[in-house]
Amino acid sequence: MKKGFTILELLISITLISIVLLLLLKIMMSFYYINDSDDYASKDEINRALIIKSVESDFLNYNLNGLKILKENNKTIIDFKLDEKKVMEIKENYIIYNDEKYELESNNAKYDLCVQYTYVDLDDDYYLIKINIPVLINGKNTTVDDDLQFTYIGLKNNETSYQESYAC
Amino acid sequence: MKRGFALLETIVVITFVTVSLLLLYGTFTNLVDNKRKTVLYDDMANIYKIYYLKEYLELNGLKTMETSDILKLSCDNFNLDSCSLIYDEFSIANLYLVKGNLQDYEENNYFSNFNKYLDSLSYNDKYKYWLIGEFWVEGQYYYASIGVN
Repeated sequence: MKKGFTILELLISITLISIVLLLLLKIMMSFYYINDSDDYASKDEINRALIIKSVESDFLNYNLNGLKILKENNKTIIDFKLDEKKVMEIKENYIIYNDEKYELESNNAKYDLCVQYTYVDLDDDYYLIKINIPVLINGKNTTVDDDLQFTYIGLKNNETSYQESYAC
Repeated sequence: MKRGFALLETIVVITFVTVSLLLLYGTFTNLVDNKRKTVLYDDMANIYKIYYLKEYLELNGLKTMETSDILKLSCDNFNLDSCSLIYDEFSIANLYLVKGNLQDYEENNYFSNFNKYLDSLSYNDKYKYWLIGEFWVEGQYYYASIGVN
């Protein structure tokens, strides 16, 4: 009569459980990495989406006709030429737009005060602008995933006035 | 008198534990997939890029284009000198016009990443087409789409 585990049964059960535990560990590690990665501003994803939506909605609702970027000692100001006055103030740890303050919450994250700006003329008097506010992690722009990117394609009119380039 | 596990009992226990762990594994896999989708799919900045591109291309013949399933749009489809410029500025690798109520298509003709994104879209009759942008940024494909009527 059989009285307990055979070595074969033990080996099979240990192997099976080990395989599943290893798979679980791998998944949990990747989940941890994606959710709490120190490589990018993972805790600021919602604020990033809110800022982009707020700015882009204003571009569309208040007709963007130009902008001016001004860098001061410890902040950068973007003055949007809209039907209504809108200014974005960028400091290393936060952005103020539309009277809302969006603070960076991710570890070691700071806004780069050197904003990247592109202006391109398109066919039929249309133009494209791109503004990118990089987020630095420990002083490095590790990925564009957390950068604040604003885009606009518009039609030129008498009031349109953009700076064609910007150097920090 | 029986003093230990019988083979049958051992197998039942192992099966139970394995199934439980596999269910847990499945849950975590879904969480990771969903998390990855929030980063790679329909990023807010990319949605606005596709929106502006759609508005601009609609002025240049986008609405006249038709397809029964998926149409890959290149700059040859538009009479625009600045088309490739926009593609470059927006980091668009490919642009697709996809039937709004897409049922079947030849998956083998497309990247697996693109097929996965298509799986995540909800097909209905609300939009005639989806304009889908495939962005190539930092060695990864990102996707964003907007409805076209």
